[in-house]
Order: sequence, then C-alpha cells, then structure tokens
Amino acid sequence: MLKAIYSRLTSLNLGLWLMTGVMVTLALGSFSSASSEQGGLNDMPLLFWLQRAPLGYSWWLWLCVACIVVLFVNALVCSIDALRRKGRSVAPHLMHAGFLLIVLAHLLSAYGGFKQQMQLPQGDSFGFPDGERVVVEKITGQVGPMGMMSGYRAELRLSDGLHAVQPNQPLFHKGYGIYVKDVALSPVPVALFEVHKEPGALTAFIGALIFTVGNLMLLAQRKGR
Amino acid sequence: MKPLLITSALLYVASIRRPIFVAALGCSLAYLASRGMGLGRLPLIGPQDTLAFFSGSLGLMGLPFIYSRQTRGIRWFCWGCGALAGLFAALALPFPTINMPLPPILDTYWFELHVALAFFAYGLFGIAALLGVAFLQGGGKPALDLQYRAALVGYSFFSLSMVSGGIWGYYAWGTYWLWTAKELWTSILWIFYSLYLHLRLKGQAWERGFAWLGIVGFLVTLFTYLGVSMLMRSSHSF
Repeated sequence: MLKAIYSRLTSLNLGLWLMTGVMVTLALGSFSSASSEQGGLNDMPLLFWLQRAPLGYSWWLWLCVACIVVLFVNALVCSIDALRRKGRSVAPHLMHAGFLLIVLAHLLSAYGGFKQQMQLPQGDSFGFPDGERVVVEKITGQVGPMGMMSGYRAELRLSDGLHAVQPNQPLFHKGYGIYVKDVALSPVPVALFEVHKEPGALTAFIGALIFTVGNLMLLAQRKGR
Repeated sequence: MKPLLITSALLYVASIRRPIFVAALGCSLAYLASRGMGLGRLPLIGPQDTLAFFSGSLGLMGLPFIYSRQTRGIRWFCWGCGALAGLFAALALPFPTINMPLPPILDTYWFELHVALAFFAYGLFGIAALLGVAFLQGGGKPALDLQYRAALVGYSFFSLSMVSGGIWGYYAWGTYWLWTAKELWTSILWIFYSLYLHLRLKGQAWERGFAWLGIVGFLVTLFTYLGVSMLMRSSHSF
C-alpha cells in the first residue's frame, strides 16, 4: 500500500498533470476579479484572504494551492528517489530544491505577511507595534520637465537616528520595510507610505540562488550535447 | 531613427540569405542603441520600444541558430527567423515613441535586467517554436534537439528574469510577488516550459508532442507579453 503511494508520488506523469493543473487554475484565476488590483488579494496575507473570501470568488486559488501542495511532495519525493541512485546529476535536484524553498517562502509570507498603507504630512508620525514612533521629518521631491515627479524622498526619524527612504531604497527596521510610494508637495508636503513585512523574502532569495546554480549546472552539462 | 527600424523590418522579411539577416539585425541593434543613447537608458517603456526590443531579441537570439550546422538543411529557417523578427519590428512602427524619463520606481538596474532577460527568453521561445515547425515538417532529430536547447536557454533567461523581477519588486513595491494577471501569466509561462523540459524525459514516443509543445509555448509567450497588456489591467501593462 505504502509502496504504491510512494510509486505514485514519484511518478513523472503525476508531476506533469499537476503542472497542468496549476497552469489551468492560474489561467482561470487571471480572468477573475479576485486577481485584479482591486480584488483585495494583494492587501492582506494570502491565507487571511482565503479564509475570508467567498468560495465562489476564491475556488480557483484553492484548487491551485491544492495542486501546488501535491506538486511540492512530488518534486521532493522525486529528488530524494533520484539522489538515492548513484551517478545521477545533482543539477535538476538543485532546481527542485530551489523551487521547494520558493514554495515554502510563499507559505511563510502567506501566513505572516503584513501590509499597511498610510498618507502622512511632513511632521506627522506613525507607530510600530512595540510603541516606537517614526516621525516624518522632511518630504522633498523634484518635478521633471513633463510635470511628473522625477524623484522624491522622505526623511524619517527613528530611535536610532535619521534615515532617508526613496523609491527602490526602502528602510528596513525591526523586520519591517518602510516604503515611500508617492509624494505631493503642495499645498503641504504629503507622502504615501507603505509598511511591509515579508517573512518569506530571504527564503525565496536563497531558493532562487539554489535554483540558478542548478540551472547553470544543467546548462553546462547540456552544452555541446 | 525610425528609418533604421523600417530598414530592419524590410531586411528581416527579405532575409532569405544569412548576410541579409545579419544586416537586418545590425539595423535593429543600431536603432535600439540610438534610442538607448537618446534616452540614457534601455528602451523598454511603451509598445513601440518593447516591440522593437522584442524584434531585436529575436534576431540576436536567432543568430547562433541560423549559423548552426544542424539548420543548414532547413531552407526556410533563416527567412522564418527573419520574418518573425520583421513582424514585430513592423508592429512597433505605428506606435509613438515614449521619450519621458523613467518613473522613479522603474529607475533601477533590476528593472532593466528583469525586462531585457524576459525579452531574450521570449526571443528564444520564438526560435524554439520555429524549430518545432521544422521538426514536424521532417527536419529530423537535430531540429528537435536544437528546439530543446533554445527552450532550455530561454527558460534559464526567463528564470533569471523572474528572480531579478522579484528582487526589484521587493525593493520597489515591498513584495517579491503580486497577485496580478501579468504575474499569473508569467508563472503560467514558467510552469509551461518546466513541463516542456520534463516531458523530454518521456522519450522518443513523445517527440511530436514535444515539438508541438514548443510551438504552443510561443503562443503562451505572446499572450503573456501582448495579450495580458492589451486585454487585462495590470501594473505591468504598457
């Protein structure tokens, strides 16, 4: 019985069907209003959203998650099974390991992620859960030749001093990232801030690195064949 | 500058010989270089620039394949690559150029790397599709082997594009992943080529299916690039 389940789980056909399942559910989901930018899916951790969204709205994502869970097991068992045999290239299994870590990273973020948006004028402040205040000391921006903002930044005072945040240069503090998303300079300088917590980010990065190493090894092995 | 793009489109479509293809590619790259120098960045914003970049990527990625010994027997292959690249150069022509500076959020090397690698991958997926057609028309096993190589290198570029996009997203948006139509179709495309590469393990019985999958993959690529931008609302739209 267990042997039959193990054999089924290591099956290439199962992996191919599951990949098809993930693709079909994602394709259906892409036409759903849930995946639109107003769908709320990007405003809270995935598991929170799944618990709250009506099934008629989220069914495709439940199916997709189910396929990914079994695909995770399939990739894991396949790699373990192949590595137990001698003489196998390690490259595809590094790619599998990278994929598995990226799936785990999504799970971490889906459970412990956090996002909050706030619009604050210069001089205002917001607080961290432990009570520390972040004061918006200064908001500046440059208007480009076409009237659009060509650059902007905000200076934030925290307990350890003054820090600048600008596009693509967030401030990381106590596991949170503080991002400045937009700035208006008149009538008073106001900035749109977002505070994010992405607990899966490091795991996803390590997974991506491992995947890339495996991918490069595979390319080197296939070269000239 | 536009005459360079028009010339490249015409030469691509006429590339029945390899030197004509090389001349077309030269015009295409010269056009992209002149745009890039004028803008002070890679020309990757708006339909005109991205279609021209896609055309250039198809030509650049196709070059080693048209000079490969394995494609010498496929008489139409050089013209096929040229026609595909020429089609996208021609599609770029009606659109106006967007000469504004990059919005602050896009003004990072991670963004340029993300988009450029994606287009190199798209180009290779296009070449893989042509090689799939060549196999189905009797091009033999070498065409299928080349299709696999094109798709594998394309998949590698695409994976790196997704990694650089994730890093950019984390620094720009606060997350390496957003649930939007473009991200979903990007994932679909990546999984599609993962499936394609796994299907090779099924052996010779699946060769025709493998070739067909390489062709369908390019249609998925086109939907991911053009279809999503035109039909769905996403932060990745033109």
